[in-house]
Amino acid sequence: MTGEPRARVSRRTLLKSSVGLAMGAATLSAPRGWAGAISRGKVIDCHAHLTHRSRSTWEADDRKLIEAADKLGIDQLCCSILTPKRPATAEGFRECNQWTADGMRRFPGRVLGYCYVNPGCGPQAVEEARRCIEDREFIGIKLYNEHTCTEPVVFPVVELAIELGVPILHHAGHSHYFVEDQPHMSDAGHLAELARRYPEAMLICAHISGGGDWEWAVKAARHAPNVYLDTSGSVTDDGTVEMAVAVAGVDRVVFGCDSSMTAGVGKIRGADLSAEDKDKILGGNMMRLLGRRKS
Amino acid sequence: MIVDVNAYLGHFAFRRLRHNTATSLLTLMDSKGIDKAVVSSAAAITYRNTQAGNEEVAEQVRGHRDRLIPFAVINPFYAGWEDDLKICHEQFGMAGLRLYPKWHNYSLSGPCCRDLVNAATERDMVVSIPLRVEDNRQRSWLLNVPDLPLEEIVELVKAHPKARFLLLNGLGYLRSPLGRADSGLPSNYAIELSRLSVVLANELGQIIANLGAERVVFGTGMPFNYPDPALVKLEVLDATELDKERIRGQNAAKWLKL
Repeated sequence: MTGEPRARVSRRTLLKSSVGLAMGAATLSAPRGWAGAISRGKVIDCHAHLTHRSRSTWEADDRKLIEAADKLGIDQLCCSILTPKRPATAEGFRECNQWTADGMRRFPGRVLGYCYVNPGCGPQAVEEARRCIEDREFIGIKLYNEHTCTEPVVFPVVELAIELGVPILHHAGHSHYFVEDQPHMSDAGHLAELARRYPEAMLICAHISGGGDWEWAVKAARHAPNVYLDTSGSVTDDGTVEMAVAVAGVDRVVFGCDSSMTAGVGKIRGADLSAEDKDKILGGNMMRLLGRRKS
Repeated sequence: MIVDVNAYLGHFAFRRLRHNTATSLLTLMDSKGIDKAVVSSAAAITYRNTQAGNEEVAEQVRGHRDRLIPFAVINPFYAGWEDDLKICHEQFGMAGLRLYPKWHNYSLSGPCCRDLVNAATERDMVVSIPLRVEDNRQRSWLLNVPDLPLEEIVELVKAHPKARFLLLNGLGYLRSPLGRADSGLPSNYAIELSRLSVVLANELGQIIANLGAERVVFGTGMPFNYPDPALVKLEVLDATELDKERIRGQNAAKWLKL
């Protein structure tokens, strides 16, 4: 293989090209298919993660994430860092958020930070979220699976997000069996219930393509206008994005990868939707949510 | 030329599929620049008598044989599989098989499967094995079909050095002898890329480094999957244009003797 020219792909062309592969590298820079869909605005991955520093390769891994975003035409990544073991302690999530803040400094303009907290830590969780958003320019809150989102212990964090006008990205999944290692996992139905209690909240239902029954998830969220569907996850089932748009409306679907980068991009590129709709999903909708910040 | 070794026709029991007729699949292929596709019956995954699905596929591809390459789904534990194999090969012109040992409840190392692989090899048919159909977390409440462990594939390729295997819908090969250069396994298998990473962990790049680009083939899983994620992988893959061309279609053409 040595000495042969390596094919180069310029930034952004991937999200524009539908048949670039067929044409070969020479034509990849010529947008095809839904060309122009992203040229009108930013492409924002609403669900990304930097690497926990217990992993020795964290710095290189973070760099790889940015390089992957470069290759795929993703302008900004909304990142959190989770503790390796849950439930997270207050010390654990503070440390993660410190590292996320550092990532925002290392990759200015590329990494936007979600503040990760375990609502079970009560005032410590709320104080940490407030500090991250008000003092460190985090853009939202990441909640994982320590508590189902309908548990009252979660409500103060939701009320803080409403007060500050920031979204909550909530881990979610729905399988037709009991997921033993995530007994308190929320699903889109729980998020819809929470949304009815807090209609002012902006709740992003994480990774509808994350392995659970995505058709169930989309239908469960139908009547909750303040639940947004994150397209991330490793599953690339045909029709997922179109169904999310048909059932929830295009304004409630947001692009994400959750580290499944080519899956994330490919799903949107392959969806049978207008360029305008893809533009909203890829960044317009997330921009709108971020624009509701109150401070 | 792009050859997709991992495509399907027909209905699937647990989810509606679009683009699942020959006409609609070809339209999708045209829109993505995919020239040829190996197709088998999605319905036969859950039919008891898989031959009914093979007959449906044979009917669908009639008139489209220049682009759609039919494979047979055979369950070697079901009555009459030898007859089905003969009909699929000799009458339907099917060039290979798709096996679903977990869905059809048999072992790859059992005597029935051994007989089927031997019979296919005698006919010079390719044996393709999807390691999964869908992500197991979204499974129906009716069943729990696990992914096919790579360890079982390792034993299969060792036991049948003259057979030719295409491994579909898999990942994690680097943790298995299947993805390592020094494994001592016969080079009688090729790996399809639809679930392999090309950024971050970059499993595909490492497989190419270990086994060579000639052991990797392009596949999408359409119409179960959007074809674009697999296309994007090839576009961002850090490889020579020559290697990409091999993966796009040249390798499949050799395996399928196109």
